[in-house]
Amino acid sequence: MKFRDYYEALGVARGASEAEIKAAYRKLARKYHPDVNKEAGAEEQFKEIGEAYAVLKDTEKRAAYDRFGANWKNGQDFTPPPNWNEGFEYADSSFGGGHPGYGGGFEGDQSEFFESLFGRGKHRQGGRGGQSRQGMNFKGQDHHAKILIDLADAYNGAKRTISLHMPTQDATGHVSTQERKLDVSIPKGIKAGQNLRLTGQGGPGIGEGPAGDLYLEIDFHPNPIYRIDGKDIFIDIPLAPWEAALGTTVNVPTPAGSTLELKIPAGTIAGRKMRLKGKGIPSAEAGDLYVVPTIVLPPANTDAQKEAYQNFEKAFDFNPRTHLKG
Amino acid sequence: MANIKTTWIEASVVENEVHMSIVELSHASRTPQELIMSWVSEGVLSPVGSSPQDWRFSGDSLKRAKTAAHLTHDLELNVSGVALALDLLDEIAQLRARLQREL
Repeated sequence: MKFRDYYEALGVARGASEAEIKAAYRKLARKYHPDVNKEAGAEEQFKEIGEAYAVLKDTEKRAAYDRFGANWKNGQDFTPPPNWNEGFEYADSSFGGGHPGYGGGFEGDQSEFFESLFGRGKHRQGGRGGQSRQGMNFKGQDHHAKILIDLADAYNGAKRTISLHMPTQDATGHVSTQERKLDVSIPKGIKAGQNLRLTGQGGPGIGEGPAGDLYLEIDFHPNPIYRIDGKDIFIDIPLAPWEAALGTTVNVPTPAGSTLELKIPAGTIAGRKMRLKGKGIPSAEAGDLYVVPTIVLPPANTDAQKEAYQNFEKAFDFNPRTHLKG
Repeated sequence: MANIKTTWIEASVVENEVHMSIVELSHASRTPQELIMSWVSEGVLSPVGSSPQDWRFSGDSLKRAKTAAHLTHDLELNVSGVALALDLLDEIAQLRARLQREL
């Protein structure tokens, strides 16, 4: 197990006051909040600072943590000494970072380090159970998870087996993560950011209450060929200079797996988009597929190739810099 | 080996097919109904219907409510702070989309 330096995570000194810790956390939380910051790694960072804050804002937890001393370094191998937390009692551990629904997981994104020291939010888990309240019926919790699909799945619809990791609690209150496989039909026309609702696949109901629902937020695997904007798709098509100048016919692969023949008119300019109406993500109002021409210059390596470029120069009275004075 | 027949779970796309009541939205976004009402009065969410019991939220309300709930919880933003943050996030998303188109 690796040691986590919670003071370093928040960028505060070990003697920092509660107010300093709160201010440092707030500042970092705004910066790395996954709803705000879309950079890769922001979510991890957010969970880390959330975990650090959960410990340092709590006087008891902080005091227990401080007992390890100042000599531990972030990432160092660590085993807590026996009875390290003797005499400390923690109140309900509401945990700062890590929502349900982020990163394909459910609840409990704490590090191994945190869990081994402070447990896995079991007070919260235990407190929720309404089993003791006789005769009460509640709908089970709704669960959220994110899944990644291929762009082709949105075009064609698909059947996918997805794995979700969800925390479950056994009779003794011990929480462990279990893998759960679900066979889900991905409907044609789904777009990034949309949610699928799987009725009754969430948390179990309490008493006679029905099970909660499972919401799956859809995103696409990164795609090297296509850019995606809602239901519209963009593809770059490289052309040789003579193809752009004289016109040609190119094969455009569609995300659905087919190929379209596209006529490139003479005098095509790089960046001028061509719209293939209705060839975007299908739906009642289907999106469009945009072909973005780019022009690629072949290098002049041989004498014959250099001569070809020189003939170009002779044939055209062409100055691309007329708009620049001097 | 026995032939196991897979039953595929059919799901509905929340954004297209689902219109949630305040009870459903509150449950799905783990947000108290009172907070959802305050978001509606601040214009964060715009349900159809005249009274909270009749309100029907369109599918994209779920995502918005989830983001609003995260911001409220993690950054302790008040209702108008959440409304401002969501407006700015929408604007950033639009600018990113435009950038993507012009890449």
